[in-house]
Amino acid sequence: MNDSSVTLDSADAPALASNEPIISIDDLSFSYDLGKTNTLRNISLDIPAGKVTAFIGPSGCGKSTLLRCLNRMNDLVDTAEVTNGKISILGQDINAPDVEAIELRKHIGMVFQKYNPFPKSIYENVAYGLRVQGIKNKSVLDQAVEESLQKSALWSEVKDRLNTSALGLSGGQQQRLCIARTIAVKPQIVLMDEPCSALDPIATARIEELIAELQQDFTIVIVTHNMQQATRVSDRTAFFYLGELIEYDDTSNIFGKPKIKQTEDYVSGRFG
Amino acid sequence: MAKHFQRQGKRILGLDKQSWIKGFFGGNAGISIVVLFLICFFLMLEALRFFPAHHEGLKVYRQSGQEYVGHLINQAEGYQEFVSFTNQAYFAEYDARFSKERGIKDSWDALLGEIEDEGEDLAEALEDARDEEDEAAIAKAEADYSAFLEELTSEVERESIDSFGRLAKHDDAWEQLLEAARTYDPVEEDTPEFVSQAVKVQKEGMSDFTKAKDEISSAGTSLKDLRSKLVGITAEIAKDAEADKSAVARKEALLEGADTMEGEARVAAIEEAEKIVIRDEFPYGERVKPLEEAKGAHQKAVAKMSAGLVAGIEKIPDQLSSEKAAELVTKIKKGEKRFLENVDRSLGQASEWKYDQEVGFWNSVAKFFFGRDWITNSSWTDVYGLQPLLLGSVLISCIALFFAVPLSIGAAIYVNRLATLKEQNLIKPSIEMIQAIPSIVLGFFGIMILGQQLQDWSQAAWVPEMFRINDRLNAFNAGLLLALMAVPTIFTLCEDALNNVPRAYSEASLALGASKLQTVTRVIVPTAISGILAAVLLGLGRVIGETMVVLLVAGNRISMPDWGQGLGIMMQPTHTMTGIIAQEMPEVGEGTLHYRALFLVGLVLFTISLAINITAQRIIKRLGNA
Repeated sequence: MNDSSVTLDSADAPALASNEPIISIDDLSFSYDLGKTNTLRNISLDIPAGKVTAFIGPSGCGKSTLLRCLNRMNDLVDTAEVTNGKISILGQDINAPDVEAIELRKHIGMVFQKYNPFPKSIYENVAYGLRVQGIKNKSVLDQAVEESLQKSALWSEVKDRLNTSALGLSGGQQQRLCIARTIAVKPQIVLMDEPCSALDPIATARIEELIAELQQDFTIVIVTHNMQQATRVSDRTAFFYLGELIEYDDTSNIFGKPKIKQTEDYVSGRFG
Repeated sequence: MAKHFQRQGKRILGLDKQSWIKGFFGGNAGISIVVLFLICFFLMLEALRFFPAHHEGLKVYRQSGQEYVGHLINQAEGYQEFVSFTNQAYFAEYDARFSKERGIKDSWDALLGEIEDEGEDLAEALEDARDEEDEAAIAKAEADYSAFLEELTSEVERESIDSFGRLAKHDDAWEQLLEAARTYDPVEEDTPEFVSQAVKVQKEGMSDFTKAKDEISSAGTSLKDLRSKLVGITAEIAKDAEADKSAVARKEALLEGADTMEGEARVAAIEEAEKIVIRDEFPYGERVKPLEEAKGAHQKAVAKMSAGLVAGIEKIPDQLSSEKAAELVTKIKKGEKRFLENVDRSLGQASEWKYDQEVGFWNSVAKFFFGRDWITNSSWTDVYGLQPLLLGSVLISCIALFFAVPLSIGAAIYVNRLATLKEQNLIKPSIEMIQAIPSIVLGFFGIMILGQQLQDWSQAAWVPEMFRINDRLNAFNAGLLLALMAVPTIFTLCEDALNNVPRAYSEASLALGASKLQTVTRVIVPTAISGILAAVLLGLGRVIGETMVVLLVAGNRISMPDWGQGLGIMMQPTHTMTGIIAQEMPEVGEGTLHYRALFLVGLVLFTISLAINITAQRIIKRLGNA
């Protein structure tokens, strides 16, 4: 691979026509046990590019499972299987036989619930994604690391200790480092699986600010338990319940005037 | 006031039930610690007393002049090596150059033997007839004999050509030989012309080399004579000195015995006792005088030997037709200079020898730890040097780890990160099952099957010369078996270490687009590295302490590895620290120097194991804190 193609231009990314949804989920059913029971049932949902989309719902409703379907992290479970429907990202069916999960994940980054930087230096954490793509050029790496850390609002805090262990950072810093690590490979989409659930309110606020910043460059899908957070950061919200998509609309509509009773009950705190 | 909350139950010996239970479990734990300390204590006690005893032995070695003669022996043995190499080269060259001539001569001798054995009666008859000058009888006997020869030669030609195989490729010579046999006259006993010619050609052709060989082998005669003379003298001195030490005890025992006897026997016993001389000090100075006197002769003998060797080697012809001979001669010429230097040095050391020079105590320590020989039950003098055993153990351990480490780490990575649940359930118990194989069974397998197989395989054409296996039992064979024994240990601990790496790391790596292999090599293994290192160390501890397999399979030859062989040292038989203890301990007398030497080897082994285990534990602890 040519070094320049993986700098922050994402030159090799498939192009997308305007107005077309970046992720299109069509009648998707998904099972963790080879189809015996469906964890997700008949979900259809279009996610627009350049926006923040939030998945909300009570525990066990399938929102994280759906998120992990998007970058095929569920492949790690031997018995996981898409039983119906399909997911298209940038127009490509991601479960087609000739799609490689590794290639897919280079375009779809993921930030996890519990911050999980590698036990390496800060620099190496951010450079990891580029290194596994075979980039060795020091100046390309330096530039990508600085740019990513700046975008994730961490640069000023760590620029003097890039070579110290990432595990020495505070929890909020570690999560921002994970975000920096994710965006360093220039994905088009960033998936966030309850990114603030392990953080205190101040650190949470900083991450939320960061999400607003990142929205300019990436399409973001965020799973959250915290409904205030959904209102604060997202443009669109999908409400899931027991493996089904109940309602999907602009965030202001979901929280302001939900069309469905279940949604209203949930967002107003009557159950969940 | 009413009493409340009193302790229930009876007290035994002033302690209640809870205290007894506590005492029972605490006692069990305590016993194992006490036993450990007792073992350490007795091991130390027996082992460390080696040094004073060894020091004493070294003193006798010097005072009795054995040290001096030791130098002489080394010189003579070094020289003997040259003689043997020269002889080997000579015969190799001889074989290569005169295989036809030698074949003619040997075949003729064999044929002649056959003729003389079978035709003895006929030959006698012929001789008798000729003596009596009876024409008719002569004619008949001659006819009989030539008929016999005809029959014999055609039989040889037909059937037993194999036993004269050397000539089979020289058809014309073979024909000639048979022809000569057909016309052989048992009375005249002529050697056919072409046979004597062959003998002559051989003699002349090899004359240069023969001269060189004779010169080399005669160069050391006087040194050898001196050696056997002085060895006798010093052995006697050492024996007498040893006897002197027990003189008082023996005398007392004899006199005590005499008290119980009557009459003549009593007188004889007392006389015997009186013969024992009790001296304060053994008169070494007087006894070693012959050695002092022999110093001049020694110098001369060595000078003669060196000169003869140099001259002889000079005379070895440059052009050799045998490759093997050429190789040997190169070796001889290479070794010549170093040998002469060594001889010079050792001669210098020998001339400095004085029987009454002090022997430093550290000598006994240094000679043990750095000694390159381990010789016991010798008629000359016992030597206890740790090096060959230590290196043997290290060599075998290195071989074992070389194979065990990649195997077990690879298996652990596969099971922990890549295998399906089904595979895991098959592989893990299988590998752990290896541990259940008794080491004696593994050793048996090594002797009967693996050793032979390896030897057969090593003869294949693509195997480099140095890896050819000459001895079925060797370090490589033992190393392979020990690798098998170390695999379960390393595998299990390694798998634990990998298991301790949080799932989140591999998820994060995969989510960044890394492949499974990249995830393993870049994140999982670096994170688990200290656990893996500890696993390897504990595997090493297992290997270095293993006894049965090495005792059975390593070949048990005590010698320093021949570094000249390069990696070929793996294919040599060797001995180990564990093996030597198991092998020699049953036969040593309690309290002897040999006995203590074995204990000391045990102590060294114990120290090494302890160090390995402590290091491994430290690493694991640090990992736990990180």
